[in-house]
Amino acid sequence: MTSFFFYFFATVLILSGLAVVLARNPLYNVLSLVVAIFSLSSLFMLMEAFFVGVFLLLVYAGAVLVFFLFVVMLLNLNSPPTITAQQGRFRVWGWLLGLLLTCEFVLTIQSFLKAQALEPSTVRGTIETIGRILFTEYLLPFELTSFLLLIAIFGIVSLAKGALNTGASS
Amino acid sequence: MIGLTHYIVLSGILFAIGVTGVMTSRSVLKILISLELLLAASNLSFVAFSRFNGDYTGQLIVFFVILVAAAEVAVGLAIVVLMYRNFSTIQADDLKDLKW
Repeated sequence: MTSFFFYFFATVLILSGLAVVLARNPLYNVLSLVVAIFSLSSLFMLMEAFFVGVFLLLVYAGAVLVFFLFVVMLLNLNSPPTITAQQGRFRVWGWLLGLLLTCEFVLTIQSFLKAQALEPSTVRGTIETIGRILFTEYLLPFELTSFLLLIAIFGIVSLAKGALNTGASS
Repeated sequence: MIGLTHYIVLSGILFAIGVTGVMTSRSVLKILISLELLLAASNLSFVAFSRFNGDYTGQLIVFFVILVAAAEVAVGLAIVVLMYRNFSTIQADDLKDLKW
């Protein structure tokens, strides 16, 4: 049963990942990223990382993807840009490098992990266990992350204010 | 039985798809979306190692990665909107003012 769900969600994940890269319309890129995040969260649930899975859904599907959709809507990006010959050559090289990277990853991982067969442990990432570690052992990184988010807010506000000021003066 | 290798291979394939997206796409918005795919792939391998080694630290790192990614996306999209306002394009190739 577990292996059926793994292969199902892995297939959905890879197909939607390809759709993120291949789709011409920016709207379809963003929406296939939503599908990818949902199947990734399901894989986290299969590995009993419940808290991280739900957190991924909340932050990505709830907040980040709405950002992306807003920007796509705001900029009105409907027509795909035309590709010149030089850009087309770059694109071919990019695909070749990506294919090479895939083969390299798969071969390396297969050769590295063939010897040892690790059994799944009894780790269950519930809110209680994760929160206990987060607020005891990793309290300083947690507080620093909140500081980082604060600085990000300052940065965005100053960027937006600067744009408003130049718009008013010109 | 689904082992660690399955998850790591899946993560590697997803990472390669993301790298291909970053290298082949011209629009800055699409490069940012492909970066999200890269982060998702590394998150998957972190959770898999956490599961099969019996250590919660991997899941904590995923927690922090998601938080930092949210900040990165917010700042990146603000820059994309500013770029569209100033140059009325979001193609990475059109920004060559520093090229000589």
